[in-house]
Amino acid sequence: MLELVDIGRSFRVGPGEVHILRHLSLTVAAGQLVSIMGGSGSGKTTLMNIIGLLDKPTSGQYRIDGQDVLKAEARELSRLRNRLIGFVFQSFFLLPRLNAWRNVALPLMYRGTPEAEARRRAIAMLERVGLAERTEHMPAMLSGGQKQRVAIARALVGEPRVILADEPTGALDPKVSQEIMELFLALKREYGVLILIITHDPGVAAQCERQVVLADGVLTEAPRGC
Amino acid sequence: MLKRVVAEAAANLLASRQRSALALLGIVIGAAAVIAMLNVGAIARNETIRQFRQLGTDILTLRADGNTGLGNFQLADLEALPMELPAVAEVAPFVIGGGSAQHEGQVAVSSQLGVTAAFAQVTRMRMQGGRFISDYDRYELYAVVGAGLAQQLSTPYAPVRVGSGLRIGRYVFTVIGVVEPMLPSPMMPVDIDNTLFVSIPNVRRIMANPSLSMAILRMRPDADAEAVTAQLQRHLGPKLRDQRLSVQSARQLIAGMQSQMQLFTLLLGAVGAIALVLGGVGVMNIMLVSIAERRREIGVRLAIGAEPGDIRTLFLAEAVLLSVTGGVLGIFLGIAGAWGFAWLSGWEFVLSATAAPLGAGVSVAVGIFFGFYPAVMASRLDPIEALRAE
Repeated sequence: MLELVDIGRSFRVGPGEVHILRHLSLTVAAGQLVSIMGGSGSGKTTLMNIIGLLDKPTSGQYRIDGQDVLKAEARELSRLRNRLIGFVFQSFFLLPRLNAWRNVALPLMYRGTPEAEARRRAIAMLERVGLAERTEHMPAMLSGGQKQRVAIARALVGEPRVILADEPTGALDPKVSQEIMELFLALKREYGVLILIITHDPGVAAQCERQVVLADGVLTEAPRGC
Repeated sequence: MLKRVVAEAAANLLASRQRSALALLGIVIGAAAVIAMLNVGAIARNETIRQFRQLGTDILTLRADGNTGLGNFQLADLEALPMELPAVAEVAPFVIGGGSAQHEGQVAVSSQLGVTAAFAQVTRMRMQGGRFISDYDRYELYAVVGAGLAQQLSTPYAPVRVGSGLRIGRYVFTVIGVVEPMLPSPMMPVDIDNTLFVSIPNVRRIMANPSLSMAILRMRPDADAEAVTAQLQRHLGPKLRDQRLSVQSARQLIAGMQSQMQLFTLLLGAVGAIALVLGGVGVMNIMLVSIAERRREIGVRLAIGAEPGDIRTLFLAEAVLLSVTGGVLGIFLGIAGAWGFAWLSGWEFVLSATAAPLGAGVSVAVGIFFGFYPAVMASRLDPIEALRAE
């Protein structure tokens, strides 16, 4: 369960302040797949950074599974990100010099998991996303869809509470996009993890059970079946 | 954990080979200069010891200087020294000159010394064949030659040996002994290997203006060189009237050579230190470029849970690995350089025990020192900014 209560985020620009997010509240239950839609300048990225524990709001409260995550300091934030959040990026952001399983194992390594166990779990996760044959491949040898599958495996391997996907299909063609969305739906059911997909593609949003729209820093629930 | 960090750092460095190699160069040169400096110092020390081993360090050289050139001792004054001064063991006065000698058509120019029998004992020379000049030889036309001179005067058909005839000026001397090869000593004005010896009375026959201006003296083992020098000045000074007596001790000479060596070592050390600093700056530069290029990677690592300390370790490991590699190459290059120096100067090569560990230590220290700032910079990157970087 993820709870954002009355979140505000403003940036100081010269003498004045710019409010990017205002009184934003959002509650997502575990096992939900939610899409957040919004145009450029809507505050999407800022919201994503706050949810991903990369940025802190200027006001409001943020809890994951009842734990107040805003009190944490830099080091503790790193640990919280490692345990609670799995990131999926639009351009995959795999580390080019590590092969597929090492990329997937990275969150476990930073947690101090012994290499043998990290490898076993990374390979199991790659098998789950359909890349059993590609565990030793370098990112450069994988297609876009395969890279995103590796990235999803990396996000999931540490058994986080929240998967935060920023335009996960933005760099993929429609057929592969569809496969990735189906993978998200299957993983959500399987692991009971809460998935937030930030997108501006209505086709992607339509597949999520809940859709919210961000405009001018204010979140509104879209009616179901829109 | 450490193994993984090092493996990852190595992979990252190999990915940008050319750049790593350039950064390496500075460290290699710096470490090599430091190693070479230490090793050349050791070689020179060894050489000094070797040079003095033959003659020992309880040697004094005496020289009389007149107002217009070389002075003149009285032979009797010098030969009385061991009786009059208890600290003096033996003394060998000699007349120094030079000229050519001829043997079977071979001509060689060499130093020529007029000596007494004591010369062989004081210099601890050994004979290859025959005997040295004796005090009874007086006006006999006998000569003793050094090993090198003997070789120069030999022809393939007629080697110079005991019994050979040498033409010197208008006289023909008979060789009565050949000296074993000897290292040149800094205490001697001549290289014994390349010297012809005759008795002091014979000197008038081969030199135009002979003067008994020098002596080499061996002290008793427990004597203090400075005290003996003072005694000699007091004792011989008045007898020399208006001539000046100069006394040089082996220890004084060693001290002089050592301070000279120290200057040389210091100079090389300074060159090494400058090269190491430049190498360090090179490493720092490469690390900063590498970090700028890998901002997004750093962002990803931070996003998936790397702590700032993990990022710092990663980049510090790269810097240290780079400088350790440079240091190891530098050790080899430095030792090779020292070997070349020994070879060029004809000195004996010795490996300094401190050189390799010190070189390795210094290069690791440089890596840590110059890698620390970039590594801390990397660990302080804001993940949001870093992820946005292209």
